[in-house]
Amino acid sequence: MLLSRRAFLASSLAMLSIPTWASAIPIAAQGDLFFSAFSKSATEHFLGAFGSNGHMLWSMALPDRAHAPVVHPTHAVVGVVARRPGFYMDFFNPLDGVLLKRIKPSAEHHFYGHALFTQDGKRLVTQENHYPSGAGKIVIRAWPDGQILHTFSSGGIGPHESVLLTKDTLVIANGGLKTHPDNDREILNLESMAPNATYLSLIDGQVLQQVAHDPSLHQLSVRHLDVNASGTVALGFQYQGPLWDDVPLVALSSQTSAQFEYLSLPEPVRARFKQYCGSVCFDQSGKTLAISTPRGGLVAYWDVPSRAFLGVDNCRDVCGLTATENEGEFVMTSGTGKQLISQPRQSDISLIYQHSEVQWDNHLRRISVTV
Amino acid sequence: MFINKKTLITAMAVCTTNVTLAASWDDTLTQIQSEYIVPNYEHFTASAQTLAQAADTLCQQPSDDQLAQTKEAFLENVEDWQRLQWLNFGPVTYFMRYYAYEYWPDKKGITQRQLRSLRSDPKMMQANKFWSSASIAVRGMTAIESMLYHSDFDVMARSSDCEVLEAISRHHATTSADILSQWQSSDATDWIFPEEGSKVTAEHMVVEQLVQQWLEHMSVVKDAKLETPIGYNDRSNLKLAEFYRSEQSLDAIITNLKAYRQLYHVGSPSLYDTAMAQQPERATALEAALANSLKIALQMPDDYFTGDYSQADRVALAKPLVTAISTSQTRLTELVTAMGFQIGFNSRDGD
Repeated sequence: MLLSRRAFLASSLAMLSIPTWASAIPIAAQGDLFFSAFSKSATEHFLGAFGSNGHMLWSMALPDRAHAPVVHPTHAVVGVVARRPGFYMDFFNPLDGVLLKRIKPSAEHHFYGHALFTQDGKRLVTQENHYPSGAGKIVIRAWPDGQILHTFSSGGIGPHESVLLTKDTLVIANGGLKTHPDNDREILNLESMAPNATYLSLIDGQVLQQVAHDPSLHQLSVRHLDVNASGTVALGFQYQGPLWDDVPLVALSSQTSAQFEYLSLPEPVRARFKQYCGSVCFDQSGKTLAISTPRGGLVAYWDVPSRAFLGVDNCRDVCGLTATENEGEFVMTSGTGKQLISQPRQSDISLIYQHSEVQWDNHLRRISVTV
Repeated sequence: MFINKKTLITAMAVCTTNVTLAASWDDTLTQIQSEYIVPNYEHFTASAQTLAQAADTLCQQPSDDQLAQTKEAFLENVEDWQRLQWLNFGPVTYFMRYYAYEYWPDKKGITQRQLRSLRSDPKMMQANKFWSSASIAVRGMTAIESMLYHSDFDVMARSSDCEVLEAISRHHATTSADILSQWQSSDATDWIFPEEGSKVTAEHMVVEQLVQQWLEHMSVVKDAKLETPIGYNDRSNLKLAEFYRSEQSLDAIITNLKAYRQLYHVGSPSLYDTAMAQQPERATALEAALANSLKIALQMPDDYFTGDYSQADRVALAKPLVTAISTSQTRLTELVTAMGFQIGFNSRDGD
């Protein structure tokens, strides 16, 4: 693509001098880079970058606790979204941690802790709460200037995370929980909550498909999700009802089906989840699914083609999950500072490193910087 | 590299301290199991068996006196349970036994609905596989309380009602005996899931989980047992109080708070002893907070949950106790964190 000098100078990317991944990565730095928010105490919050050996490459202080990183697909930018109710997103140079940009939500809105870029990297998509009404919003901003281009209904309340199914289709986990930043952990609609997964057109905001539980499971919050190359969406739930209720916690979905396909798991393992899924992650092949549960202290795995349960890895307070380049391999992080690498089909798990005084937060992202 | 004598002595002292601390958790945990968990399960199992026998006798020879004895046995069993309730760890976590002991709060009245169904054909409860598939709503003390205290049931006048009571009480006693047996024949460390790359001992991990259970239970006492039923932040609904039909709601809280202090001091070295050695100020602060909570609870009027109080009166009376329990929770968190325990970061997140 050729840009005229005027167009280049007008480009916000040029103004921010953000290089592409390929041009930014020195040969010596080739390999994997991992990003996760972490905390050192109740008041000390950071975004950290570490390499394959687990050692911290850089960390940058954040104004408040964050939730999930977001990686730009073409340019050397990594961001992190504030934890619900989130009022900032910070973006950094992934190689040295220099702060590039901060985006804040518009008035009467907050972020839910997750964001993503469109495939071409020109738009930033966030899930937001219009908290006076409780309406879930999908907000699309131009990148990198941050100007709001579109605001669509998310198709529900409490859109926590979303993923791209295609370049123009977003899948949204509408958790169903109505909350207000004045008392952000209080659920205001426990009796009427109606979570769903919504397939949304990014072109015009049209709902293309919507999948919900049976009404008897209306307190089963749809919270996190991932999609594999064949378009299968995996979802992890968080149940707001009693701990003793026997409810499904993991499901698969596709745009062509109006129902969730719940995945089974042995009851003793299901009970250990304590009704709470943390992160959802397919491996590189899309054939192995990993779901973490920090409350249960484990990561559970399924064989996607057969839907068979594969087993678990035990790890206290584990939550962050990301796939590596290798089929069937995951890196995970925990609130105890651990970084682990696992190949569940080989029952092979090993500690990469453990940082003292680091509590890795909920979500982990990886980029390959091999060029 | 040169190491002077002072550095060497300091290094040796650090190593010695670490070894001592590791050994302390071994001893402390062993004694928590042998002097707290097992004896309290022995009491609980014994009172469950007494209750089952009383129910048997009641059904064979119904009388007001036997009904009173059965109720008394039930109350004793509930009190024994309150000393163990904080411990959702180990054998009780299998087969949903923890939640079957007490199906509470039962907001939808599922226990009564299922009990009414059972009494229409109580013989079904004698089938071999009945209990392995029975709802947890009818397997424990919540169901027994309903049979003895709910106006829908009359174990004196209706033999089918008494048969249901008898079967549940027997099952409850058997379950408790099974759990006791498992505690007697295992080590606490058998009940954790070892993880890769752990730098702490299994004993440390168990004590950490016990502390987490303790902290979570403090929230249950403050929120579910006190704030929710009296309408501390919302509408009141006293029927949500724990064991409200048998009027055990306040006694249960008091027994819980006594249990916390017992847990803190059991064994030698106890958690308290080790805490005093490592973090004396924080250890003392927790001790004071626990004592204060109990003192305030003991000063609550006996009819706090049952008397003719307005919601505002109840909230005003509860405020010092809510504050005291919150303080205990904060002090415990500060202490154990300073002692190197992880009490959960992501697991307490909720997002």
